[in-house]
Amino acid sequence: MSLGLELAIESPENVVLTHPLAGPAPRCLAYFIDLLIRWGVLFFAAIVAVIIASALPGLATGTFLLLLFLLEWGYTIGFEFGWQGQTPGKRFCGLRVIHENGQPLSWWGATLRNLLRVGDMLPFLLLYGEDIGVLAALPVYGPGIVCMLLSPKLQRLGDLAARTVVVHERRSPLPRDPVIYDHILPIPPTERNAIVPRSETLALVDQFLGRRSVLSYQRGHELASRLAQGLADGLDYRGDPSAVVKYPMAFLARVYVTFAITPLQEDADAHQSPRGRPLVAEGTR
Amino acid sequence: MNKQRFLKERRPAWQRFEQLVDRRKTGGRGRLTPDQLFEFSQLLRELSNDLATIRSRDWGQGLVNHLNHLVARGHNTFYRSTPASWARVFEFLAVGFPRLFRRNAGYFLVAAALFFVPLAAAWIAVQTDPTVALRIVPSEQLEMFDAMYGDESFADADDAAADADTSTEPTPDEFDPAGFGEERAAMAGFYVQHNVGIALQCFARGVLLGVGTISTLLFNGIFIGAIAGYVLSLGYTERFLSFVVSHGSFELTAIAVAGGAGLMLGDAFVHAGQRTRLESLRVRGIEAVQIAGGAAVMLVIAAFIEAFWSPAPIPAVVKYVVGGVLWLVVACYLGLSGVRR
Repeated sequence: MSLGLELAIESPENVVLTHPLAGPAPRCLAYFIDLLIRWGVLFFAAIVAVIIASALPGLATGTFLLLLFLLEWGYTIGFEFGWQGQTPGKRFCGLRVIHENGQPLSWWGATLRNLLRVGDMLPFLLLYGEDIGVLAALPVYGPGIVCMLLSPKLQRLGDLAARTVVVHERRSPLPRDPVIYDHILPIPPTERNAIVPRSETLALVDQFLGRRSVLSYQRGHELASRLAQGLADGLDYRGDPSAVVKYPMAFLARVYVTFAITPLQEDADAHQSPRGRPLVAEGTR
Repeated sequence: MNKQRFLKERRPAWQRFEQLVDRRKTGGRGRLTPDQLFEFSQLLRELSNDLATIRSRDWGQGLVNHLNHLVARGHNTFYRSTPASWARVFEFLAVGFPRLFRRNAGYFLVAAALFFVPLAAAWIAVQTDPTVALRIVPSEQLEMFDAMYGDESFADADDAAADADTSTEPTPDEFDPAGFGEERAAMAGFYVQHNVGIALQCFARGVLLGVGTISTLLFNGIFIGAIAGYVLSLGYTERFLSFVVSHGSFELTAIAVAGGAGLMLGDAFVHAGQRTRLESLRVRGIEAVQIAGGAAVMLVIAAFIEAFWSPAPIPAVVKYVVGGVLWLVVACYLGLSGVRR
């Protein structure tokens, strides 16, 4: 189990899919990125409007105000609907808005959650500039944050009403086998009895070796010693006993190679091309 | 089946699936052929099976994460919400919105009362005693309205308006259509940005137990009523009424409609009925936002009428007739459109 909060959805295929939920911090960052983009666009639009205004003052002002409206109300709705739950800021932060049931964000879902932002972002923090009055109004997101901390799925008011959640979208690469396997020889059958360790035990060894870098050398050594000693006893290991005591990790890897990797290679030599077994019954066609 | 063997057998399928998902991700260009679609749907089920297998065997969180992400992406590609289309937009505006509106008409009536009663009260109060206006509207703004309706550029072809105006009345044939449209474009932008913004805020503030909506409705009602009363007390009756009658149909109604949607949100918390308060907010929220969306469209229409038709130099009688027709259109649209027989 991972430690973060997760949203679990049962897919129509009856398998549980999990999405890690995003908390206030990354969402705040995404919000500020979007805010900067909007201010940037407005700044350039203002420059263009001033240039055009010399010829067509009315049209320039009108278009600028229309753009102001679209950026204020349409930016998040438009992007979240068009980009399937992402704004540029959210995309940068690897966030995505989806419905609680795992479906992509719908039009009215996007509209509701973003309109209700008005309620979430109160009160405003006013920044004053010298001689020019209010420089900018930054939302404090009072109700939003309180609501987010109280809700089990980290939802603000708008999310609650629209049944949406913000999730992290982390691409996780297929984990590679520990390199150690390539350099280790299997335990010859003469040095062990005929018992084959249970697959759970082998899985444990594999996970331990795959994640050994998160432990200090000493602690890893300690933990590995117990496991290695247990396995050596169980297998009646008759090789060099000091190898188990001195290099328990190497011994664990040896066990894994012996029972998980070597049989596979022998297999591959026997039948030339192992094909994927059809998991879906023929009858479904 | 051990992990290594499983991975070796299944990995080609995973890679193929990732390829298909990636291709689909690129948008409209990445449409799958029927054969690929069949393959995709079969692979999705196979990978779901693999994910369940891996979970049950406890073969490591990294592996689970990898496959979970892959299947989730496939899931999102395979099961989508109905795509947007112009037909659906049209259907919503033609029948969906009026039907929703009528189903929740009670909220609209309350909002209309909260908006129009203070409006009428402020109007009457200011018209009997114009100094009251100073207590409601900032004096700079009053001067602005004074200038706007007293302004000679506010050309009016109708002779009746001339009585009220002491300044020189420009002759109608000085009117320059191109310059007029140019100048009004700025106002169109302003009306959209300002009015639609107010309506959407009026709706959204309803989520705070309806308090925000009620205060917005009261404030705007009193404000608009005070200005109307003030302008009339100055004697610009004809100009003012012929100006507001057309766009008022869409604009004032739409503000009450958006207010009604906001009250729905607040009421969902207060009177949850048989549902939990949260569930009640969800069920009514999705209806309320659609009503607010319809109100926003009405306000955009109002903004363009207000910018291009209302100030046009057309005889007041024509404006009254058109305005009357527009009120009728709004009433028929909200009241009759999409009625099931």
